Amino acid sequence: MSDVRQKAVDLLIESAHEVFDMMVGRPLAQGVPIEGDALRPKANVVGTVSFAGSESGVVVFYSTTEAARQIAGSMLGMPAAEVNGEMPDAIGEITNMIAGALRTKMTDSGHPWAISIPTVTIGSDFYTKYVSDVKRVLCPFRMDEEEICVELIMMKN
Amino acid sequence: MKFLVVDDSSTMRRILINTLSKLGYSDVVEAANGREGIDRLAANQVDVIITDWNMPEMTGIEFIRSVRADEKNAKLPVLMVTTNAAKDDIVEALRAGVSNYVVKPFTPDTMREKIEAVLAG
Repeated sequence: MSDVRQKAVDLLIESAHEVFDMMVGRPLAQGVPIEGDALRPKANVVGTVSFAGSESGVVVFYSTTEAARQIAGSMLGMPAAEVNGEMPDAIGEITNMIAGALRTKMTDSGHPWAISIPTVTIGSDFYTKYVSDVKRVLCPFRMDEEEICVELIMMKN
Repeated sequence: MKFLVVDDSSTMRRILINTLSKLGYSDVVEAANGREGIDRLAANQVDVIITDWNMPEMTGIEFIRSVRADEKNAKLPVLMVTTNAAKDDIVEALRAGVSNYVVKPFTPDTMREKIEAVLAG
């Protein structure tokens, strides 16, 4: 893995931990990052934020619907069972905060990036294909019994 | 003490309102963008503004410049809560008239410190 991509992955993991510790109140247990796209997470809720600058690519957040409800409930201070229409905005905000924290860390270390607004896709049996030549690193985490993943997709050049 | 919370994300508005409530501040009016923020500010006696940066209609920076353009709001405390936390971002926000800066993610303790700092002037 290139030095810049390894740095971005390390900072992405650090950013995810910070966001979940401070804004969700549900600490994450970290798994082993996986390069490539052979393993796809089981996700019905996908948040994305693009970045561009000295490097370009996408930060992607994956969770099941149940995990997304739990995250939204924890953020909003309400039971997960009562979360419904609030969930997409909450997952967009989580993705935005993780990507934003990563962007700040990268920019402050000499890699200036700008980021897009977040997009949230909810559904089943879908796959996102990136037509550009990219490198992907999937970072799995456990939030109690639920698995969530954060992925860094970066243009090769 | 009345707060005006300006953020296009309903989740962030709720988080901010819950955080303010934990800190003992329950009098809050909300706006979903800078333009709504100006309307709420005109209709309410606000003591502290908490605003996001990236919003549709009118950004947080445009909103703050508009607030500061009114002489009676020259000393109104304004906290910016945002993920835009690179050094250049902070300089731009301070030049626009932000009193202090809260970087997302944040803890309630951080918010308390920043509120106390802007109220102390």
